[in-house]
Amino acid sequence: MREHPLARILLRGATALVLLFLLAPMVAVVVLSFSPTELMVLPPGGFSLRWYEDFLTAGRWVLATRNSFVVAIATTLLATLLGTMAAIGLQLGRFRGKAVLVTLLTLPMVTPYIVTAAAMFFAYAIIGLTGSLLGLVLAHTVVAVPFVVVAVLATLQTFDANLLRAAASLGAPPMLALLRVMVPNIWPGIAAGAVFAFATSLDEFVITLFMAGPGQFTLPRQMYASVRESLTPTILAAATLLFLCSLLFLLASEVLRLRAARKLRA
Amino acid sequence: MSEILVSFRDVTKSYDGRVPVVAALNLDVHRGEFLTLLGPSGSGKTTTLMMLAGFEDPSSGSIALEGTRIDTVPPHRRGIGVVFQNYALFPHMTVAQNLAFPLSIRRLPKAEIAARIARALEMVRLPAFGDRKPSQLSGGQQQRVALARALIFEPKLVLLDEPLGALDKQLREELQAEIRHIHARLGVTMVYVTHDQAEALTLSDRIAIFHEGRIQQIDTPEAVYERPANPFVAGFIGESNRLTVQVVDTTRLRLEDGSLLATLPHALPPGTAALVSIRPERVVIGAQGPGNAVVEEVVYLGDHCRLRLAHAGRADFIAKLPRQDAMAVPTPGTRITIGIPADAVTVFPAG
Amino acid sequence: MRRTNWLAALLIAPLLLLILGSFLVPVGLTLFRAVQDREVAQALPETSAILAAWDGQGLPPEAAFAAVARELGAALEARRIGDVAQRMNFARTGMRSTLLRTARAAERLRAPYAASLVALDARWGQAETWLLLRSAGGPVTSLYLLRAMDFTQTPDGGVVQAPTDERLYRTLFLRTFGISLLVTAICVLLAYPVAYTIARLRAPWSSIALTLVLIPFWSSVLVRTTAWFVLLQREGPVNGALLGMGLLEAPAQVIGTRIAVVLALVHVLLPFAILPMHSVMTRLDATYLRAAASLGANGMQRFLRVWLPLSLPGVLAGGAMVFLLAVGMYTAPALVGGDRDQMVAWFIANFLNRDVNWGMAAALSAYLLAMTGAIVALARILTGGMVGARG
Ligand SMILES: Nc1ncnc2c1ncn2[C@@H]1O[C@H](COP(=O)(O)OP(=O)(O)OP(=O)(O)O)[C@@H](O)[C@H]1O
Ligand SMILES: [Mg+2]
Repeated sequence: MREHPLARILLRGATALVLLFLLAPMVAVVVLSFSPTELMVLPPGGFSLRWYEDFLTAGRWVLATRNSFVVAIATTLLATLLGTMAAIGLQLGRFRGKAVLVTLLTLPMVTPYIVTAAAMFFAYAIIGLTGSLLGLVLAHTVVAVPFVVVAVLATLQTFDANLLRAAASLGAPPMLALLRVMVPNIWPGIAAGAVFAFATSLDEFVITLFMAGPGQFTLPRQMYASVRESLTPTILAAATLLFLCSLLFLLASEVLRLRAARKLRA
Repeated sequence: MSEILVSFRDVTKSYDGRVPVVAALNLDVHRGEFLTLLGPSGSGKTTTLMMLAGFEDPSSGSIALEGTRIDTVPPHRRGIGVVFQNYALFPHMTVAQNLAFPLSIRRLPKAEIAARIARALEMVRLPAFGDRKPSQLSGGQQQRVALARALIFEPKLVLLDEPLGALDKQLREELQAEIRHIHARLGVTMVYVTHDQAEALTLSDRIAIFHEGRIQQIDTPEAVYERPANPFVAGFIGESNRLTVQVVDTTRLRLEDGSLLATLPHALPPGTAALVSIRPERVVIGAQGPGNAVVEEVVYLGDHCRLRLAHAGRADFIAKLPRQDAMAVPTPGTRITIGIPADAVTVFPAG
Repeated sequence: MRRTNWLAALLIAPLLLLILGSFLVPVGLTLFRAVQDREVAQALPETSAILAAWDGQGLPPEAAFAAVARELGAALEARRIGDVAQRMNFARTGMRSTLLRTARAAERLRAPYAASLVALDARWGQAETWLLLRSAGGPVTSLYLLRAMDFTQTPDGGVVQAPTDERLYRTLFLRTFGISLLVTAICVLLAYPVAYTIARLRAPWSSIALTLVLIPFWSSVLVRTTAWFVLLQREGPVNGALLGMGLLEAPAQVIGTRIAVVLALVHVLLPFAILPMHSVMTRLDATYLRAAASLGANGMQRFLRVWLPLSLPGVLAGGAMVFLLAVGMYTAPALVGGDRDQMVAWFIANFLNRDVNWGMAAALSAYLLAMTGAIVALARILTGGMVGARG
């Protein structure tokens, strides 16, 4: 059914404007990050990599980048492992209250970050985990792991349980059957969860603000501090690099989605 | 037959601008008839139906309803009922609300709407189901509601696109009978799409056979079965033995093994190649003994036996032996005599 | 069957322990801090005991004066006086100086303490001071929960409005609610036509347009808010462009205003509205529209009676998601908003970091949590589906 031509023109026009609104700020930041001067005006009137150079040579930015990636990688590993295990367990188990359990495990997803941050700040202070990278990794894992659980559970819906029975009939013990039969079939979901976990950790700011020690700046925290201090294009270089990362995440998640769709059709 | 309700004139449709999906279609639908569009998958049946309903525009040609062209009339003003293949019952409305939809659009008074819903539910034998949501109905029940919804605003014409395609055989036959009754009772014109030939034969006043976007033949069920217009129709409807032959004269053909076959008079010039089609059930099985065929295989099918014979130089000649007489079923290997009545042979020019 | 359940339990246990230990228990403890009251009982145990037995008429017995002088001195020694002073000052402004002064003078005070304390600070001669001390004896208090709704307790236990100059939390919650509602309304209104158009576009275009929505969805909230911070500067590109076009006479100060907050929030949250709507709409079968048309419905009727109700679950899910995220948002208002545009999250952060007032941080968190819980529950009831979040 086609719309009235006028309605169609209006709808498409509105859509184009909204998409422009969504993307223009990002484009502006990318363009301004190559500005040769401190002035942030459009058009920038030149091209230079000096702010990227500044980013790569300034100790605090380098340290923040390193911290961010160390924490994100550790978080991804931990969240993917724990989340996948839990999702498989939830799928296998035949017990009552499963829905409640899923809700509990994914609760951090719907809790305002500030509340999570306050709670962790308080609890970790008691056991002395604040100000350590380990504490930060645990905190990020808590907020990242629901995405892994949800992604893996979704893929598990399409997994044929008879495959596990077949594996058992062929003599595979349960753990082996999971590893050799189930995991190879659901890996796109696991990987999608991992990408989301990595992205969540890399972007996370509010919890880091409370949990990290004085010296433990991550990229978002460093960006926030720098913006409040004085606005330099170096921040835009950092923003551009983070933006680039998010494009990579998007690419990865789309590739995985197509993989999963193809697996489903096969 | 009577008055013409719909006429397609030289209608062509192409989705990509190159390959025609429907080509040079000329088709008249008579008022009150049950017309079936039958054809293999992808032959353009749905496309034809959708052009009539107004959901697709013809690339060229014209469609007229009661003599007036409807090319520019939007679907919602055509007043044509449509039953969709997947039912398309609105999931957010109850059965009664679905039925009320076309009536409230037409601003009928409330009492009238309620009365019509009651009658419609009665008609499809679901009187107690008005308050259910479509998701709470079985496939057959949903199909009945879809039918009732397409009929409730009393359209002149109802289009049905493989309405029974998703149902199992028994339910399908039950609903076929219901559709036939409703058609007979309401006298509404129906255009029905299916690729199930038994269904087409059961239901239709006329059948239009589609192939590659063209109508191959349009006629009564008996005519398309008994007098197929071309080899495609002969092969598509029912089972048939197809043999290549040489024309001897106006009533005789020569088979590949040299034997002769008698036919009703035909107009093909002597000496040319031709194609004949013979229905297996028209083959007369004669006595055992030194005959003209050898039984290769026998399949018992309850009401009849299906014999595969070696005949006229081929090993896949099929004959059907009805189980009415007490004649013993021949066993594989026996020689028998078969006869082919002249009026059972349909002759087509070769190629 | 039983063995499978053991395996399942084994697989779930590690994550459950992490979530329990690192999220559920901490959140529970934090919420408990909204009612917990132990500073005074810990630092001044004897005073609390004497006051608990006191009938509340007139002034307490001499023993109470003696105990408070001694225990305040001891608390100063043990560096616990700060907690007590903060707790009492929160109940009544000015108590801090009274307590600190008394603690520092404790060594010099002599019996009769009732006289020497009153001589040191007149507050000790007021019954209210003692009633306040008694009500702070723990173990629980409704002080923070009441204050977070602009109420306060009178010394005799009644509940009254807080003093005018201390009333701000009801306004704060209303503001948070109002900004979130406005942002949600704008997001839903903008997202619906976009989701519709994308769902109806043809093959390559629909994926391209969807990707353009996914790009901001995947990029960090902070990066996007920073982008607005840069764009909206006085010397920034937006002002530059508006000045260049002659639409402005002088550069406008947008950073630090409500407009900047709403703009940044809409930008950050819009993809969360578009995506659920889009996913519902792409799953809508176009034959419903055809069926409606075959039954006589015109374009507007098809939209209002078929498409809109069928796509409503997506609208609800998207709207709930945006509201949920907006209500708890810290980053965007903190970066581009002024002091008067801050939402609940910012106040919680301040109570944690600047004032170190755990009670108030916990009380505000409790109300915020109740608010989001209500939204999630409402959305789940209305849509019967999952509502998740990110950001
Ligand atoms: N919207 C469309 N866009 C492009 N091609 C289409 C479209 N709809 C149908 N076609 C093509 O047109 C041809 C005829 O399709 P149509 O649906 O009319 O066939 P049909 O006879 O109804 O087949 P079936 O029995 O499988 O339903 C097919 O080759 C199909 O691939
Ligand atoms: Mg079809």
